[in-house]
Amino acid sequence: MWFDRPRPLTVAQQYLNLGANPACAGKGRLYGNMMSWHLPVTPTPFSRCYSARLEYRQGTSPQVFIDDPDLPVLADGRRLPHVYEQAPTRLCLFLPGSGEWGAWMRLDQTIVPWTALWLLYFEEWLYSGEWAGGGLHPILRERAHSRGRRRIGPRVRSAGASS
Amino acid sequence: MYIERRTPLKKAQLFGILERLCEWLEPSPTQADRAKTSYEAVGQWIAGGEGEWLASSSIYLQGSTALGTTVKPIGRNEYDVDLVCHIPGLARWLPPALCKQLVGDRLKESQRYRAILEEKPRCWRLNYANEFHLDITPSIPNDACVNRGELVPDKALRCWKATNPKGYRDAFQRRAELVPQMRLLKSFAEDGVRADADIEPFPERPRFKGLLCRIAQIAKRHRDTFFLSRDAALAPISVIITTLAAWSYEYCVRSAVFDSELDVLCAVIRHMPDFIGRQVVVGRVEWSIWNETTEGENFAERWNAEPAYAKAFFNWHAAAMADLERLTQSEGLDRLSEVLTESFGQEPTAELMHAMFASVAAARRTGTLALATSVGLTTARIAGATPVRANTFYGAP
Repeated sequence: MWFDRPRPLTVAQQYLNLGANPACAGKGRLYGNMMSWHLPVTPTPFSRCYSARLEYRQGTSPQVFIDDPDLPVLADGRRLPHVYEQAPTRLCLFLPGSGEWGAWMRLDQTIVPWTALWLLYFEEWLYSGEWAGGGLHPILRERAHSRGRRRIGPRVRSAGASS
Repeated sequence: MYIERRTPLKKAQLFGILERLCEWLEPSPTQADRAKTSYEAVGQWIAGGEGEWLASSSIYLQGSTALGTTVKPIGRNEYDVDLVCHIPGLARWLPPALCKQLVGDRLKESQRYRAILEEKPRCWRLNYANEFHLDITPSIPNDACVNRGELVPDKALRCWKATNPKGYRDAFQRRAELVPQMRLLKSFAEDGVRADADIEPFPERPRFKGLLCRIAQIAKRHRDTFFLSRDAALAPISVIITTLAAWSYEYCVRSAVFDSELDVLCAVIRHMPDFIGRQVVVGRVEWSIWNETTEGENFAERWNAEPAYAKAFFNWHAAAMADLERLTQSEGLDRLSEVLTESFGQEPTAELMHAMFASVAAARRTGTLALATSVGLTTARIAGATPVRANTFYGAP
């Protein structure tokens, strides 16, 4: 029912929450119904320190870019998995339309932790060539939908963390 | 501030990774139990032989199994389990070859042992395929040694050599019990967050075998990997690495305060060569690493006959220092994995990474993964950490 639906958070609320969460410490700008947030992300103490940029406009999906280091350079010619764009690298962090993310959810509690998780799997991918983080690919997803509940090949299912 | 707090965390966690590596290198508790049952049975079998000499014999562990510094050999499945079969009734006038024969003959009387028996220059080996092999060296008392040492055959079986496996083990254990002084880092103390097991990213295992054992294992495994692509015959023998590590450990623990176990590891390895004796005698370098628990056993004896051994030790040592430095400096799990692979081999590295990512996957499933300031992603419970909600990475493969 309509009154059960949580209310979307405003961009200003998102901005304040990002600023208040120590795990998201960074700098940002807020202009009207748009904001950007720059933050260093280090998924583990062994990891690089990545400069991430979160762009968000009310009514759209949040976008996450990695400004530094240059991920395609690190990938050394290999195509990055689970990105919308190779350069500037924009990460695919959630399944659109699945309810994993909605405008009523806090960016600092969803998008930022997922960015750290993406970068963790990215570093492992650099070493092993395998994406261990599970996930879905657009084409496979269409096929999966046409076959009912079956989603994707065994690798993704065995990763077990995709739902 | 950010970097300042990350470095000690990184060091603590790096040592955690190296410790897991050591666990991987050791025999499993089941394997260790099986080895124990087997060598106790062999001991009973030998003591059950005819004649009073064998009847008074006893079998006990020596070497890395006795010290807790075992590492899995590269390229074969069997661990070495070194044993001494001590025959107190025998005296040094007995030729070593005969003493060895006595033990060998008794082993051959058993159909079971005969099938797996192999003769080595100074000992008998029982091969338990895919598990371990027992190397049984006969020994007799050394009446000349004030530390109740023993005598074992030399390689050519021509004479007896002084040794003292029990005394060596006791001296090693005495040092292994020393605990280094650790500085509690101020920034962590202020937060109530400490750079220890509590904030390991994916803590799972119980701690902790003595630091000295771990250092010896890490050094030995690095040696094994280093000499894979070199002349393996020149690789420093384990007793040299273990002895120098033990002496250096005592020195470091008594003379310094450390920030992390990784710093202890680096300091101990760095100081190892300080304890090698070097004397120039008539224009020739004489090397010595004396067994302190008996008279006349120089672990570096071969270095004097063939200087290439000494050179190989110093080459290995320089590489070990450089690799530890690279390990500490590496940025990125991929770089870390590369350095680990080069230093300790592909198999354990893949195993470590697999285990780490298996815990991450499990934590994602159960919702116990969180993102914490300066720690990053973690399964440890840290106040104020942000839980990682379920998500599906989307996009082109």
